[in-house]
Amino acid sequence: MRLRATVSVVALAVGLVSGAVPAWADFWSDAAKDLKGTTIRGVTESTPPSNYVKDVLAPAFTKATGIKVEFETTSWDQMFDKEIKDMEAKTGLYDVVYIEQDIIYSYLARSFLVDLTKAMADKPGLKAADFDPANFTTFIDYFKDPTKGNDLFAVPMESFIKTYLYRKDLFGDPEVQKAFKAKYGWDLAPPKDHKQYTDIAEFFTQWGKSKDMQLWGSTVQAHTGHPASWYEFVESVEPTFGVYNWGIDAKKNYAASVKNGGSMNGPQAVAALTWFLNNLKYAPPESTQSTWDEVAATFAAGRAAQGLVYGENAAWIATNESKSKVVGKVGVALPPLEPGVLADAESGKGYIGYFDGGAFAIPTSSKNKDAALLFLEFIGQPSVQADWAVAGSRITLKSTYDDPKVKAQDEKTDHYYTLMKEKGKLFAGAPTYPFHAQVREAVAPIFYRAITGELTPQQALDKMADAAEAELTQLGYRK
Amino acid sequence: MLRLFRPIQHHSNLDRPVPMRSPITGWLLLAPTLVILLVFGLGPFIYVLVVGFTNWNSFAADPTAHFAGVQNFRRLVFDDAFLHSLWLTFGFTFFAVLSEIVLGYLLAQLLMRDIPFKGFFRTIHTLPLMVAPIAVGATWRLLTVPGLGPLPYYLDRWFGFDLRIGSFADQAFAATVIMDVWHWTPLVTLTLLAAISSLPKEPFEQAQIDGASRLQVFWYITLPLLKPAILATVFIRVMDALRTVDEVWMLTGGGPAAATRYVGLHIWRVVFPKTDYGYGAAMSLLTLYVTILLCWLMYVALVARRELPRSE
Repeated sequence: MRLRATVSVVALAVGLVSGAVPAWADFWSDAAKDLKGTTIRGVTESTPPSNYVKDVLAPAFTKATGIKVEFETTSWDQMFDKEIKDMEAKTGLYDVVYIEQDIIYSYLARSFLVDLTKAMADKPGLKAADFDPANFTTFIDYFKDPTKGNDLFAVPMESFIKTYLYRKDLFGDPEVQKAFKAKYGWDLAPPKDHKQYTDIAEFFTQWGKSKDMQLWGSTVQAHTGHPASWYEFVESVEPTFGVYNWGIDAKKNYAASVKNGGSMNGPQAVAALTWFLNNLKYAPPESTQSTWDEVAATFAAGRAAQGLVYGENAAWIATNESKSKVVGKVGVALPPLEPGVLADAESGKGYIGYFDGGAFAIPTSSKNKDAALLFLEFIGQPSVQADWAVAGSRITLKSTYDDPKVKAQDEKTDHYYTLMKEKGKLFAGAPTYPFHAQVREAVAPIFYRAITGELTPQQALDKMADAAEAELTQLGYRK
Repeated sequence: MLRLFRPIQHHSNLDRPVPMRSPITGWLLLAPTLVILLVFGLGPFIYVLVVGFTNWNSFAADPTAHFAGVQNFRRLVFDDAFLHSLWLTFGFTFFAVLSEIVLGYLLAQLLMRDIPFKGFFRTIHTLPLMVAPIAVGATWRLLTVPGLGPLPYYLDRWFGFDLRIGSFADQAFAATVIMDVWHWTPLVTLTLLAAISSLPKEPFEQAQIDGASRLQVFWYITLPLLKPAILATVFIRVMDALRTVDEVWMLTGGGPAAATRYVGLHIWRVVFPKTDYGYGAAMSLLTLYVTILLCWLMYVALVARRELPRSE
């Protein structure tokens, strides 16, 4: 009888304790108890990582907190257009905005963003234990403001490298290898330099033609009316020739032209543009209408043997059979480089390509800053990272690399994740210019004329350097 | 006794002028429209006017607006890119509107006849009007992308024609004109169909009796009678075509190079991605002025001149 009473008391105590635990142990519902029913609105680019946020993480956050999340995924241009208008006019339409590491300096200069470090310090009740900026890769440093004690202004949600993808099945085909060796005298393999890249591009274009296949030698992101082409050139091609930071030297009064100390129209830049334009001979006909999205689609459709592709697309191209015709046939490697560029990158003097990424931030005009802060912490937890990394081939936390799911995906993507982990430091984001879009808009129209053949590489780069300097003078950066 | 109705008084009341109601009632009735016009029309216009005289780029070293006098307007006169986009827009407007009027008239005449499936065709024909311009641009982009779109595929297969609007300026220009014609011809057809339906029969019967040819009937009877409807349609379409942005932005992005960078698109790029608000506002004002001037010139050339009394 006594034993039964004891067991009953213990059972009752356990029941009460376990029933009470969620009430105080679930941080998210506790922190959001005054915010339930709030709706936060976000705007982001329609990319695999962002779509994962919209479709998976936002509903999970709503379930955990009762805060509704409405995410607008749109084109890159529209996204920036909408969020800049919103922040400029202080309408408070958006509570979460996507920012790339190349535009944050423009936003910080305008005090558009909420200081997250300060916000979490001011409201300890909203600070999740699982969210720790120290868990992130060094990519998070792009979103800190050195002028404000390295305070954090955005939470990284995607980061990846734009790297070289190639068709492993074609490269490994003995018939192809034999024909290639006979023609070029070297063993077919991912190219080490630009000459090798061109050989491969030429070979596969002719191979496709001779076999009546819809196959070309290279993707080229060469849209003649969209800045994607200019981005491919300045961020992914020029660095492989040793031209960094768009050829603008901030220390020399923002000089762009060689005569003033810049390198935008220097010999390396001319070589880079000549090579880029030459690749169009070996690219599918859609290339002059291709932005980053179409390049990924072209590769996934099996229409190109190699190319520089944004890493956020690597996972679905290599693994998603409903979208890609080249599942299991994708190889990854470092981009081709000119001599000396790798040494530059290793010593920190330069970089070999583009480390792309974005983060979510809260505009100072937001009307739901607390709810938005919770959302940013929610997506920065280690527990949500692995599935997100598998879906969007992006990694922002150091621990994500070691997750079994990511390791399995790494195998399927020819070790893309390992490449990013080990060689990511050789890549770099855009330079820390506050005039990013302004210079781009000034020079990109001239760049398009080079693609159409209206200007030679030298003519185009000379005009681009002059236009960049004129714009920087107009903006007041160049004295 | 309460009299709800006043008895109608004939003759004497009709002879007297009807007294005007209080002007306040009229103003009150007009007030909502005037408020909307002031808030959404005049207000923004004045704002753009003010901004047009400033040097203001929110991402400049100094992001505040400064009065710049007529500096922006002086810059415009020497801005090759802006002038190029303006001339390009005139060309686009000319070809697009002319094609729409001719094609719209022919389709309207066709729909006046008893043809099989007339109702079905009329419904299908008007569908493009219901599609948002951005969707029209996206559709035509998919239609024209090499390797995916049916147009390059069949043009190459049947005629050996290499359609690449991302590479060839003339093709891109033609594609934007054709897209605009596809989108807006139904509007012209519907307007002219209504006008043709309301034409009196007598002049046509008289002309038939007099033995006039079809060309003579068209030139001397149909065209003059349709003139008001045609002119109204032309003015609407010209003003629309001059400010085309979204369709073209979606199809070509203004390319290749600046081959389809019409003035609306050019201004959009300067104002939004480049955030050069002062200069962009000046461009908008000049474009508005040019549009008004163009419409006035057309009005004088096509309407007013013939109505002016000849000097003795």
